Amino acid sequence: MGNTEKYSVYEQVISEHKHEMPAETYQNLPGELTFAYGPATGGLMESVSFDMHTPGEVIKHVEVDPYVKTRKLKVKGLTPRDALLMVERINGFHAASNAVAFEMAVEDALDIDVPEGVQYSRLIMLELERIRSNLEVVKRVCEPAGFGVPQNQIAYLRENVARIISRLSGHRYFFSASSVGGCQISKSGIETRIGGVRKEFQEIFHALLQSKIFLNRLQNNGNISEGSLLGPAARAAGMNVDARLDGTLIPYRKLGFRPFIFDEPDAFGRFYVRSQEILASADLILEALENSENSTEADTAGMNGEGAARIESPQGDLFYYVKISDGRIDDIQMSSPSLLNIDAFRKSMAGNIFTDYHFNWESFGIWISELAVVMQ
Amino acid sequence: MSSIWFLNGVRKGIKTERYPSADPAAAPQWPSRLSGNDAGNCPVDAITPEGWIMEKCIFCRRCLPDYQPTGEQGIFTVKKAETMFRKSFHVFPLDSGACGSCNMEFLSIFSPQYDANRLGIFMVNTPRHADAIVVMGVMTPGMRDALDRAYEAMPEPRLVIALGACAVTGGIVGDAPLDREKYHVEIAGCPPSPYTVLAALNAARGGINGHTDSGWGNTEVR
Repeated sequence: MGNTEKYSVYEQVISEHKHEMPAETYQNLPGELTFAYGPATGGLMESVSFDMHTPGEVIKHVEVDPYVKTRKLKVKGLTPRDALLMVERINGFHAASNAVAFEMAVEDALDIDVPEGVQYSRLIMLELERIRSNLEVVKRVCEPAGFGVPQNQIAYLRENVARIISRLSGHRYFFSASSVGGCQISKSGIETRIGGVRKEFQEIFHALLQSKIFLNRLQNNGNISEGSLLGPAARAAGMNVDARLDGTLIPYRKLGFRPFIFDEPDAFGRFYVRSQEILASADLILEALENSENSTEADTAGMNGEGAARIESPQGDLFYYVKISDGRIDDIQMSSPSLLNIDAFRKSMAGNIFTDYHFNWESFGIWISELAVVMQ
Repeated sequence: MSSIWFLNGVRKGIKTERYPSADPAAAPQWPSRLSGNDAGNCPVDAITPEGWIMEKCIFCRRCLPDYQPTGEQGIFTVKKAETMFRKSFHVFPLDSGACGSCNMEFLSIFSPQYDANRLGIFMVNTPRHADAIVVMGVMTPGMRDALDRAYEAMPEPRLVIALGACAVTGGIVGDAPLDREKYHVEIAGCPPSPYTVLAALNAARGGINGHTDSGWGNTEVR
């Protein structure tokens, strides 16, 4: 499922099924009104449109249109090297996840062997990106609570992680830092800096858990434990779903990785899992540094093949399928976790009140750019 | 509990840097102004026989070693500054089709390291309260009406600011939302760093306390 026609994440098989947001119509009952929110307004990081049906305070039904800013990227016919420039810009905030998944799909298609040290470097990139992404989610969950001090302290940490990424890869969003078969990162000084971020976040996290008022805004807000969920939203709901467990190329298992599974399928659970994953990712990075290596780009000229790869992006399971003919992209499909999670968010809003909305929306960490995209 | 957070905040001390009245504390190399003379490899034709075109550049490093990053963050052009906004400048961001990185860099100018609020730069929730609209991303059909309506809703005088290569020239992804003559400020970068965004917004309202007074960026005030 996801926005691909060719892959089922749960069954892990190529299929012809295509998942799209269901087109629903809700008839307001007497006394109810439709509250339109978006696509461009305060409180929305990206352009997305909501119609909330309500008699006043309780939200009875939500319709989401995530496709208002659908982009069409011309990828087919490009070499994998040129296609990577587009893939990185599918979701710039998670460029490393998209780039690594695409690169691994190409390597699978063309039987390119990648040194294990490079896979450790990719692990560092992915986990750094996860730390920054989860910090942003936790920061945004603090925002509607008017929790200015932790919000700004976490924003400070997130910016520090962006600077670590910049030192590591030369770019604050990992653009052009990796390639098919290779990776170029600089590990100098990262150990101390990541250790500092971990320590500071742990203090903020523990202080947040002491605030009953804050926790009260999250608990039982956006309860959902049934249906399709991915990433931290799934793990908060008790599902043992994590692509890091399934893959063997990126050496998570060698580092003894175990995902954090929780049993609170609400905004609090998602906040809690994301926070725990920040700490766990920092530990993984520190362990992986020793084995990390760089390598140059592999030659893909004139090659043919078909392959796929999955990685665990900060939002969840990210899948790429590629078919390469004569060294050029013949077909490419991508499945984003945000597409499944946005449907789960929509369902979880029914019965909540308006003031719950931002906590719940931010707790899912949904990115519109990765689901409103068509690769041509 | 609130007193704990208050004390917690005070104990951390001031984290805000002095930029733009001082040099950036952690300027990234990519993106920054590139320096070079020879024709280099470029997938977006940002390198021409006449030189480097910063608005087209996506800073993909293909031009290395012919072109090298300098670390200088002043990669923006102010075609029209509005000095009426010197004391307070309210900006409304609009994502017409961005990948998310420009959105994040714009938001980052409000993080403690940069703290745009101290310069009188504020983000507003509606174009009705905005002095400038900051357009990010390529044009997507579904956002055309929202962009037009947001612009029409803004009071006069108003500025239109393009943030990032996609908004200015379309970058590598697609087409720019507006013709370039409609932009009063063009901020290059893919995405531009918070230093660049902050300096550009500062220059757009007259450039007080900024490097714009000493030649930062391309300020062509009309």
